[in-house]
Amino acid sequence: MTNSIGEIRNADFLFVIGSNTTEAHPVIAMEMKRAMRRGATLVVADPRKIWLADHATRHLQLKPGTDVWLLNAMANVIVTEGLCDESFINGQTEGFDRVLETVLAYTPEEAENVTGISAEDIRWTARLYATTPKAGIYYTLGITEHSHGTDNVYALSNLVLMTGHLGKPSAGMNPLRGQNNVQGANDAGATPVFYPGYQRADDPQTRARYEQSWGVPLPSTQGLNLNEMMKKIGSKIKGLFVMGEDIVLSEPNVAELEERMKNLEVVIVQEIFPNETFRYADVVFPAACFAEKEGVFTNSERRVQRVRKAVSPPGEARADWEILVALARLCGADWSYNSAGDIYAEMAQDTEKFRGISHIRLDEEGGLQWPCPTSDHPGTTFLHRDGVLRGKGKFVAVDYRPSAEHADNDFPLVLSTGRTLYHYNAATQTRRAEELAEKQPEAFIEIHPDDATVRNITTGDWVRVFTRRGSVECIATVSHQVQLGSIWMPFHFAEARANLLTTDVGDPVTGTAEYKVCAANVVLVALGKGSAPFPGAHFIHRG
Amino acid sequence: MTEKACVTLDGRLVDVYPGDTLLDVAQRQGVDIPALCHDPRLEPAGACRLCLVEVEGQRRMVPSCATPATPGMVVRSKSEKVNKHRQTLLGLYLTDHPSDRTQCERHSPCELHALADVYHAPTHWQHVEPLRTGRDTDDNRFLTFSADKCILCAKCTRYCEEIEAASAITLAYRGPETTIATVDHHQLRDTDCELCGGCVDICPTGAMAAVLPTRMDAPPRSQLEKVRTTCNYCGVGCQLDLHVDKKANHGRGKVVQITAPPPGSTTNDGNLCVKGRFAYQFIDHPERLTTPLVRRTDGLLHPATWEEALTTAAKRLMEVRDKHGADALGFVSSSRCTVEENYLVQKLSRAVFFTNNVHQCAAT
Repeated sequence: MTNSIGEIRNADFLFVIGSNTTEAHPVIAMEMKRAMRRGATLVVADPRKIWLADHATRHLQLKPGTDVWLLNAMANVIVTEGLCDESFINGQTEGFDRVLETVLAYTPEEAENVTGISAEDIRWTARLYATTPKAGIYYTLGITEHSHGTDNVYALSNLVLMTGHLGKPSAGMNPLRGQNNVQGANDAGATPVFYPGYQRADDPQTRARYEQSWGVPLPSTQGLNLNEMMKKIGSKIKGLFVMGEDIVLSEPNVAELEERMKNLEVVIVQEIFPNETFRYADVVFPAACFAEKEGVFTNSERRVQRVRKAVSPPGEARADWEILVALARLCGADWSYNSAGDIYAEMAQDTEKFRGISHIRLDEEGGLQWPCPTSDHPGTTFLHRDGVLRGKGKFVAVDYRPSAEHADNDFPLVLSTGRTLYHYNAATQTRRAEELAEKQPEAFIEIHPDDATVRNITTGDWVRVFTRRGSVECIATVSHQVQLGSIWMPFHFAEARANLLTTDVGDPVTGTAEYKVCAANVVLVALGKGSAPFPGAHFIHRG
Repeated sequence: MTEKACVTLDGRLVDVYPGDTLLDVAQRQGVDIPALCHDPRLEPAGACRLCLVEVEGQRRMVPSCATPATPGMVVRSKSEKVNKHRQTLLGLYLTDHPSDRTQCERHSPCELHALADVYHAPTHWQHVEPLRTGRDTDDNRFLTFSADKCILCAKCTRYCEEIEAASAITLAYRGPETTIATVDHHQLRDTDCELCGGCVDICPTGAMAAVLPTRMDAPPRSQLEKVRTTCNYCGVGCQLDLHVDKKANHGRGKVVQITAPPPGSTTNDGNLCVKGRFAYQFIDHPERLTTPLVRRTDGLLHPATWEEALTTAAKRLMEVRDKHGADALGFVSSSRCTVEENYLVQKLSRAVFFTNNVHQCAAT
């Protein structure tokens, strides 16, 4: 996020796209609702009629995967109606001409045909976004989990740059991180392209610095991202170390992945509960959960906050960092960290962004937002205050590319997957809370009433959902939350693994898989009792 | 030139700013005015009448939480009249409130009892049974409402409307029968309630309470230890207060309840969601892994010592590296684990095994 969570309530215009905020980031949704109460305008762009759409001033119910069309058409309105921030564009950005040229072809009228959103709605949104000084964009995986996810992000950032909505409170570009420590894991360099603090792994100087600091030679070959790694399992990849992810539940197209997993020579798993990936594990290390260890998580707004030990781990389970230290030592490393604080100190020392942060300071002051380069620096609430960080904000012209799959005769529906309020990821934690398991006990698929009628499906029926890759069975919820031709299912349930259905086609830059669009169909398996899969007025009242 | 705007508070001249209420001014000066229905996140309601103060020139006392501070006002918050009012009002509140403070405060502190103590409110007035009704037939496993503890400050219903914007609970009936009900008297889980539990944290008397500590038969809150930490679900980074029974589970400890830190103190501003607040039973769930496992020649995973597990893992990983090269290894780190642990996985991958094949699921 370029802004902070506390700035949301003071925003005057909120453009929420591809984020089911109420269910996936409920506490941020509260801030959005507070902004609305203050009189802010909220526009939700989402193929589903998500809960937040009920609160929105307007809901732009676009067809799945047509984001670039919508965003380029908004840009078209902004440039053709003279709503650009010329001085920001001239002073602080580069590459605008190419974008100008590109978006001229994306007229709101054409966009209406592709996205299903009226030209009037597109114009209204674009005008209000451009002319409201405190206008913020908020997005999540609905933007990134596409084969054109990077294009979606560029199209959004073009809007930010052409209107100059950057470097100010409540105005910026705000991806909401899905996991507690997505930000922190990337900050720490757990990515093939970066060392800690986003120092490029392919930069010889960075490598040389770390070789000096760590006292060992470091690899110069390019690393594989997760999507590539998963595709090369069993071929190029012969051994896998997995900490805290149930890959055969969470990765796309898992049926094929499981075939490849059989060819691995070694799989080491570090976990808190038994999971599906155990079937392939040679060694399993029992780990401590968040309430049983020390450390920090970094949230969406770059705030580094302490995790503290409240109870002891069960049995012989140990904190992940302790296991990693023991393993590294057996593999010949001379690691001698005595605490999580020691590890943080080492990381911070080699990274300007975090150098001013330490466990001691966090214990005294609460959270600190990076960049925080010195021990007396107060941290940074919003980015780009003194001009765009990389010098010039870079416009990148993007053209619409269709999703990898589209509905056809055999698979006439478009399937998207996502999260619900009551469960989290593989639900290893939330389904073990009896209350939540009771509130939302089992997997379900949302289907539009008209699509349900032609298939003789009513709410509560047992149905089979299938794609080119596999099929799962679950309960149907006939709902206006999804649009005609679309179906939606949560990925939380091990007995109905949504990722047997999803495609592993990834974004060409990030490798992020297209969890949000694949061609599918649904058939009735058995009549049900006619009850919704879980109680809750959001479903009952809306039919 | 504009003159600085001031009011006189208890004989002292103090600054006021546009939009200030008398309570804002007092709080900024560190002057303690008791209030049971006030919360910085909510619009003033003036419901509990406890924050009444005297304003010169006004015949009746005014609620400081809802009265705008106008320059020139002369305010008395500590006069005998004000104190007498507080004492009487607290005494009246106590007449249909559970009289045993220890019992009342078993699972959550009661601000009414605490204030009654401070102001020496009369406790001997005749107790009357409240006419407010609870929701005895609501068997949801998250939230419970004890009508006898309720003082009708309506913080819970206002929170539900103004902050969570779910409006699942509401004031119902009139006069002495006024109570907190769900919309159309549905079971709570069948309403628009998103189970955020904000009504629990905001309730000053513990009338709105979490069911779980009671079901666990947890010791009183006063015997629990509070540990501030960061939520392990989504990326908002809400701060949590874990209330821990240190003696439970044979000394391992048990998280009995989770509450939000006070509003204004952390990013989440006193708010939490259903997962952060209620999904913590997994911590001491019997299915947790308690011992390392190693796959033996029978093809099955067996419990093993740490030494065997670590040695086997190290040996097997090094074998793959030696046989196929370092880039035949892949390290999947986790955005669910800490920054330090992610740092160590990438260092393990790069510095110990000499490969950049390290990543985690991070799509945003």
